[in-house]
Amino acid sequence: MTGPAPRLDAVDVGYTYPGDTPTQALESVNLTVQDSEFVALLGPVGCGKTTLLRILAGFLRPTKGAVRCDGAEVDGPSPQRGYVLQEDAIFPWMTVRENVEFGLLARGMPPAARVEVSSELIRLIGLSRFADAHPKELSAGMAKMVEVARVLAIDPAILLLDEPFGALDAQTRARMQDELARLWERRRKTVLFVTHDAEEALYLADRIVVLSSRPGRVEADIPVELPRPRSLESRFSPAFSALKRRIWETLS
Amino acid sequence: MLPRNKKNNFFSGPGIRTRTARGLLSLGALAIVYGVAAEIGRGRLPDRIWLGTHYVENVQLLPPYGSLAEEAVFLLQSGILLSSIAVSAGRVLLGFMLGAAFGILLGIATGRATRAEYLADPWVTFFRFTPALALLPLYVLWFGYGEGTKILLVASSVAVVTLLGAHQGVRSVPRVYLDAASALGAGPGLAFRKIVLPAALPHIFASLRIGLGLAWVTIVVAELIDARMPSLGYLLTLAGGYPRVSTMVVGIATIGALVLAFDLFALSVHARATRWMRRTG
Repeated sequence: MTGPAPRLDAVDVGYTYPGDTPTQALESVNLTVQDSEFVALLGPVGCGKTTLLRILAGFLRPTKGAVRCDGAEVDGPSPQRGYVLQEDAIFPWMTVRENVEFGLLARGMPPAARVEVSSELIRLIGLSRFADAHPKELSAGMAKMVEVARVLAIDPAILLLDEPFGALDAQTRARMQDELARLWERRRKTVLFVTHDAEEALYLADRIVVLSSRPGRVEADIPVELPRPRSLESRFSPAFSALKRRIWETLS
Repeated sequence: MLPRNKKNNFFSGPGIRTRTARGLLSLGALAIVYGVAAEIGRGRLPDRIWLGTHYVENVQLLPPYGSLAEEAVFLLQSGILLSSIAVSAGRVLLGFMLGAAFGILLGIATGRATRAEYLADPWVTFFRFTPALALLPLYVLWFGYGEGTKILLVASSVAVVTLLGAHQGVRSVPRVYLDAASALGAGPGLAFRKIVLPAALPHIFASLRIGLGLAWVTIVVAELIDARMPSLGYLLTLAGGYPRVSTMVVGIATIGALVLAFDLFALSVHARATRWMRRTG
């Protein structure tokens, strides 16, 4: 074998929740994410997407198989893998700036350098006016973008996003997708994006990995060769529709 | 029903002026009811009262405003009322600070000790339902009749409430915040200072506010039992001995006003410290 190790490499990962009735969430998942790739993990609700992401983030230890990031075994959460939770996890008692700077503070970066990084990111997500506001002043979508920026600030090797726009209405969600795509085009990062929305996956990703329903297995691995930057036009292009049909057929 | 998105907290919303006006209105209504009752009762209520062992003469059961004003002026001019307030408030503050410091520190510790959960929990439950005033006879035996007993009694009742508040506050920090912090690389020290403490703060402040009210209840009872000059509890005991209802009413009104003032102060500190919280109706 030649070349560097993949950014993220999950080999034969299985997970069974313990308890009186043990539930097998993941059967045997193989997944490789290369550097600078935007991969969407698509599957029905309850197929173990979040379980897989929590394993990759280091919050769960797989009951079977192994996960490596940049060649090193994953054992516990680390700023190497930036994880944006599905739930609202913006710290409400901190301002937008303090939220974005939290990971840098944890790393011990001096204040002046922190401000430099945070100002740039807050500008990128278009919230400069709200830098010193508390999250209660933000809409749900903007709060989620602050969480993304907070993770980007620590410059992780890979970004793990768990249905970040799941709780938003369709229009806001589309706007946030544009926002994320724009951010990604400026800061090419390796991204693994969990969603149950085929259109969202198509609009954002380079490659879509479809999981089967419980227990989760990789059902299909579909490359998305739509030109970037994508726009409203992309959503209505024949290529987009063809891919969408293919995904629907895989899912059902 | 408040319209959606209309802020409903202490400093915004219905407006501090409206709130004050309404508060004064309800106080005024009660004052009028009292005044009317006192006027109706004049000459109709008995003035000779059987106290269990003997009769006392010339008792005004509902003294009219004239007598109350006279009594208030006398208590103020003689300096009795002010020195009583100073002594009682001093005991409350000292006991409150001692109890709050102890309770909050211990509550944070028991809340943090997730592995010692089953060690701390029975004690937390035990104290939740045990009034600190039950300790009074024990404290008198241990520490004698004096300042120490009174201040420790106040401290005990405040400590119980704040311990519960801090314990609950630390326990109820949402898991997602701790997960997010550790994913961002925060160690236990930073997570405690920047996540656990601020997230627990609303609980802690709420318990401090309850504790402050409880401190007044405790001190007045403690002063009733071991009555020494000058204090508000003593004033009430003395008035009961004569008996002089006008002194009692002035004393009770004073305690009420002090509790109200202290609570208003606690509320404003609470509101300032948790301004980040969403307070939509």
